[in-house]
Amino acid sequence: MIGTLSHYSGRSALALGVFYLLLATPIARDWLEASMSRHMLVQMPLLVVIGIIAARLVPGRMQDSLLIRLGGAWPCVIAALFASSYWMLPRALDAALTDPWAEAAKFLSLPFLVGFPLVLAWRRLTLIGRGFVWTNFFSMLAVLGWLYIVAPVRVCNSYLVNDQENAGWYMVIASVLLFFWWLGTLLVGGGVGPDKPDQSGSGRTFA
Amino acid sequence: MATYTYTPVPDQGAKAGVLAYLVISCVVLLLMMLFGLLMRMEQAQMISIGALWFYKIMTLHGAGMVGIVALAGAAIMWHFLRQYVDLSTGIFMANLILFLTGVVMILASVLLGDFHAAWTFLFPLPTTSMGMWSPGAAALFMGGLLVIGVGFVLLHLDIARAIISRYGGLGRGLGWPQLFGPDDGNAPPPAVVASTMVTIVNLIGLVVGASILVMMLINVYVPTFEIDALLAKGMIYFFGHVFINAVIYMAVIAVYEILPRYTQRPWKSNKVFLASWTASTIMVMFIFPHHLLMDYAYPKWFLIMGHIIGYLNTFPILIVTGYGAMMIVYRSGIRWDMCSRLLFVSLFGWAVGAMPAFIDGTITVNYVMHNTLWVPGHFHTYLLLGMVAMVFGFMYYLGKPNENAPDSALDVAAFWGFVIGTMGFTMSFLYSGKISAARRYAEHLPEWVPYDKIASYFAMLLIASVLVFIFRFLTRLGLASRDYQRASLARSMAT
Repeated sequence: MIGTLSHYSGRSALALGVFYLLLATPIARDWLEASMSRHMLVQMPLLVVIGIIAARLVPGRMQDSLLIRLGGAWPCVIAALFASSYWMLPRALDAALTDPWAEAAKFLSLPFLVGFPLVLAWRRLTLIGRGFVWTNFFSMLAVLGWLYIVAPVRVCNSYLVNDQENAGWYMVIASVLLFFWWLGTLLVGGGVGPDKPDQSGSGRTFA
Repeated sequence: MATYTYTPVPDQGAKAGVLAYLVISCVVLLLMMLFGLLMRMEQAQMISIGALWFYKIMTLHGAGMVGIVALAGAAIMWHFLRQYVDLSTGIFMANLILFLTGVVMILASVLLGDFHAAWTFLFPLPTTSMGMWSPGAAALFMGGLLVIGVGFVLLHLDIARAIISRYGGLGRGLGWPQLFGPDDGNAPPPAVVASTMVTIVNLIGLVVGASILVMMLINVYVPTFEIDALLAKGMIYFFGHVFINAVIYMAVIAVYEILPRYTQRPWKSNKVFLASWTASTIMVMFIFPHHLLMDYAYPKWFLIMGHIIGYLNTFPILIVTGYGAMMIVYRSGIRWDMCSRLLFVSLFGWAVGAMPAFIDGTITVNYVMHNTLWVPGHFHTYLLLGMVAMVFGFMYYLGKPNENAPDSALDVAAFWGFVIGTMGFTMSFLYSGKISAARRYAEHLPEWVPYDKIASYFAMLLIASVLVFIFRFLTRLGLASRDYQRASLARSMAT
């Protein structure tokens, strides 16, 4: 059984690595970064998701040991918040398009400073901590979307104003949909997220 | 098959945190009532504080009352809910600390910064003060509201966590398996159902509220980031209306929990009860448009939806609760004391107070009534004789010395003073609305002044009665934290 799981994890890790490299190919980058919406709402989330899946492939005991070395759940959450906030800045988007070092930093920071630590921290957060992260994320995504919609100037040199407005609207729509998805998971219980009993010891997992 | 027999439950005393909430609620409630009296006396030309102070006091009165009834409602909800689920005292106290921090910010904004754009902070008024207050004062006010909102988000997340841990999901907290399947009699108790509903709607409302507050904070300092005024109004009223609606749904838990102790009849979560709470969970989020019916620029379907759902939402919980209360009281031999009187009259206040809103929710009526004192007439009845009566009933319940303790003549007089004072005060509002007295005006036309004077006298009677309630509660704080039988047994059971 253990051998089967390890084999499965190894194949998953390989597939994940291939996908990561695929995202880094010039063709994928050119297409995803050609529009602000795809750049912010497809490529960047995919990089975060790669970090999330990578962390979930790490054995539980190793995750625990890593979490202890990193100082616990909240430092990981704060690191993820700061790293993700940086990539919300229009200047950071421009830099990623014009400076290869910034692009490399994006490809490294989003999986390893956002997705990976979030999963490590998530295991230790109760619904209050998770809910706080989620509700903050929803409201801030909506506000950021509004900022992009009503900005009186073009905020990114690399993208047109209409692209900026589209990205803003997609963010607002995404925040509303994600909020109702999250609320739905609370209504029907269960939810999604790493398997870890909450502190009440009920053994359930929550979004 | 569900069985509906009464199972006695012990009367638990209040935790120190609940008492802290209630004591702060008493002090702030009294202060806000005095502010309200000052405004009515100003309109009645009995005093002269000037327009600036009128609007500053109006801003404090509005924000303070919304906040403090939410705090008192949260205390009731937390007190009873913790008897069914495992709530965090730390989060409960964190909410109180954040609340007080927000209150200090709001007080500083109004008293030191002269902010007086009303608690509704409608865009673009906070940012276009014409020099009457600074952007910093506006930011401090909205920042204060944001801090208070964050505290309530934490409180509701903790409640959600506890309900999910105990029942397996918020849907189960609303009793959906029993509502949509066979009623096995194991539906969550009414306190859990009501808390689940409040948690769902308040989490949605607070996230929307936080979003518009942050947008307006950005706009204060970078006005070129313009906000669509209609969007802002919609978001503010969605948040504000859901939040103020939720307070009575928190406080009504006192009725569900305490009245059955007096009558020894159970208040069970049957299918009708569960259906009404589920229906209101959805509808309470769509009734706010009755505040927007005068904004013709909104899409017509949106306003019609507000009209229809406003009609529909008036009834489910109100009827189920009012009818339920009458059924458990009818021929129960209940012994009336201050607690049971206040809780019972609160249902009358709730029902009567909802009616003016029902009428105002009619588009053609709304065009001529909404900006008159008719609307304050509605929410003062609903909150004072409904929600606040539940809070005082709960306070009397906590402080009752023993199950057979008689009420003093002063308390009984205060009860009638409270009822008559509130009715007179709110009827003056409603009648002023009928004669087209505009709301939010510091100065009134001579024709309106007599009703302002009548309202002021009734408000004085009301405040004097509330002083008795508060004094009685504060003198019985020591009893309030102890566990013992409080409710007087019904005569039919006791004999």
